[in-house]
Amino acid sequence: MIFSTLEHILTHISFSVVSIVITIHFLTLFLLVDEVVGLYDSSEKGMIVTFFCITGLLVTRWIYSGHFPLSDLYESLLFLSWGFSLIHMVSYFKFKKRKNNLSAITAPSAIFTQGFATSGLLTKMHQSAILAPALQSQWLMMHVSMMVLGYAALLCGSLLSVALLVITFRKAIKIIGENNNFAFSFGKIQYMNERSNVLLNTYFLSSKNYYRYQLTQQLDRWSYRIISLGFIFLTIGILSGAVWANEAWGSYWNWDPKETWAFITWTVFAIYFHTRTNKNLEGVNSALVASMGFLIIWICYFGVNLLGIGLHSYGSFTLN
Amino acid sequence: WSFLQSADSIRKQEFSDTLPQASVSDLGVILMGAGYEVFLKGPSLYAFKGLAGRFAPIGVHLAMLLIMAGGTLSATGSFRGSVTVPQGLNFVMGDVLGPTGFLSTPTEAFNTEVHVNKFYMDYYDSGEVSQFHTDLSLFDMNGKEVMRKTLSVNDPLRYGGITIYQTDWSFSALQILKDGEGPFNLAMAPLTINGDKKLFGTFLPVGDTDSSNVKGISMLARDLQSIVLYDKQGKFAGVRRPNSKLPIEIDGTKIVIVDAIGSSGLDLKTDPGVPAVYAGFGALMLTTCISYLSHAQIWAFQDGTTVIVGGKTNRAKAEFPDEMNRLLDQVPEIVESSISKKPDNIGG
Repeated sequence: MIFSTLEHILTHISFSVVSIVITIHFLTLFLLVDEVVGLYDSSEKGMIVTFFCITGLLVTRWIYSGHFPLSDLYESLLFLSWGFSLIHMVSYFKFKKRKNNLSAITAPSAIFTQGFATSGLLTKMHQSAILAPALQSQWLMMHVSMMVLGYAALLCGSLLSVALLVITFRKAIKIIGENNNFAFSFGKIQYMNERSNVLLNTYFLSSKNYYRYQLTQQLDRWSYRIISLGFIFLTIGILSGAVWANEAWGSYWNWDPKETWAFITWTVFAIYFHTRTNKNLEGVNSALVASMGFLIIWICYFGVNLLGIGLHSYGSFTLN
Repeated sequence: WSFLQSADSIRKQEFSDTLPQASVSDLGVILMGAGYEVFLKGPSLYAFKGLAGRFAPIGVHLAMLLIMAGGTLSATGSFRGSVTVPQGLNFVMGDVLGPTGFLSTPTEAFNTEVHVNKFYMDYYDSGEVSQFHTDLSLFDMNGKEVMRKTLSVNDPLRYGGITIYQTDWSFSALQILKDGEGPFNLAMAPLTINGDKKLFGTFLPVGDTDSSNVKGISMLARDLQSIVLYDKQGKFAGVRRPNSKLPIEIDGTKIVIVDAIGSSGLDLKTDPGVPAVYAGFGALMLTTCISYLSHAQIWAFQDGTTVIVGGKTNRAKAEFPDEMNRLLDQVPEIVESSISKKPDNIGG
């Protein structure tokens, strides 16, 4: 009883903290206040609080139910939002000097997944359920956690690529008004941060083009690194799943919908890496591939569960 | 290794710089201090670091080829089969296994006889099934017991290259006592099978069994732990657990449920490709991780008193120019007009 109330409290705290953090982020972008740095720090602290809340939530569920908290869709969504906040933590602490724009992607993603998980759609699943015999294995921890962490990293990376595409094609699309443009305000924040650190290079055509170029370069590099990391996790996840399937059912690959889509996701990101080997295709083209990857991950993680068939049907649910 | 002989080709590299008063051998020393492997030939220099990062992608593709080869071997050389064995009966492995391809050849182990000693299930407090167990004994051609193991869902039995998995279960028969007589074995029929949700039923006729409209007691069960009984009108009469041995009186007949006899659903498999596939999996995981490492190459050419430096890297593209600049800053500037090997003046 105590555990479920604790769980409840932690869920609500993390949800509200993340919403406040997002609000702060949006305020700093649209109002362009000079206390950017001050508010930024508080939003960072907010993300740290969220991270600990979600970690606490997962640990509580683990203790309460006796099994690793990754047995159905609700738990894997929680784990996904934990993955996002983890990526945020790691990138924040590793690159303390440079304020990176990754937080704009990880924070909203964490809140959306957390929000969906705690929303009314899945209330049936909030109770910790018992594990079916097929799931009672040590492999559960490794396979599912690697897959979900891989999804989290790849989603971040592909969102960064989408941001890159938005910025690159901003002129062509003619988005309404410059003050409303999220991406351009991004560039301004970068400029203000850099002004306090680095002497400006004298070679630039116009301030707008230079900072846009700088921004796309940074986004490109960041998305490449995050997708590389996510790809490693995804590879390990798929392969450990195959080995587990062999232990449990005698066959390491069954062309199950989820397995097939995970393989498709893996292939799409392998294409992403191969497009980057060619200098001409680097940048925009690889970003296009990564953006398609974003859709494919959602089909693989979520869409297949809606079908409700196959060996992975633990993740399925019906909308009542 | 490949030296670049002309200054122009070096300038075309991703990162390039010129050191006006320097010696290529000083650069070589600095690079060696930074962990590079340096090769000097006359005025040319070639250095690299992180060789693993260069060969790892090749390793990735080789691992994938290995996995595909193993998969082909699995597809053409395996044996597969499945069998549902009631508790207490046995089967011979070779009778159950069938080949999947032209490379499949049976082994001596196929003559093993498998005897199902006991099939039982564990339950949670809520009544849901928590695990299936089958206690198996393996006997060879001479009747000697060669292995005894209880398998469960994520814990298969391995013998002589053949693996037996617990994949399914069924209800074979219900053993009852009727009015103290028996025990009678009533075969249980599957009524609905919805994946994991199964319903079995059987019927005990009461009264005149020759008439066309036979009435009797129906017994239904979802698992082996409780049986639901219904009377001649089809009304619910009661629930009994086989372990309790409690009698139940229905329409004047006394029934005691003695035992619920289950059947174990087993899948058998032999797969020669598995070692190759697992080796490929391990190699793929390892080489994918290693290919994250950066491989950097640097070329330099001594042109008079000037050294032209160029470099490229395949991974850490953002940090590379900073690292290069840092290293180049350490190269001493030669103030004398002749290119001498002793750098007495250290300049920025």
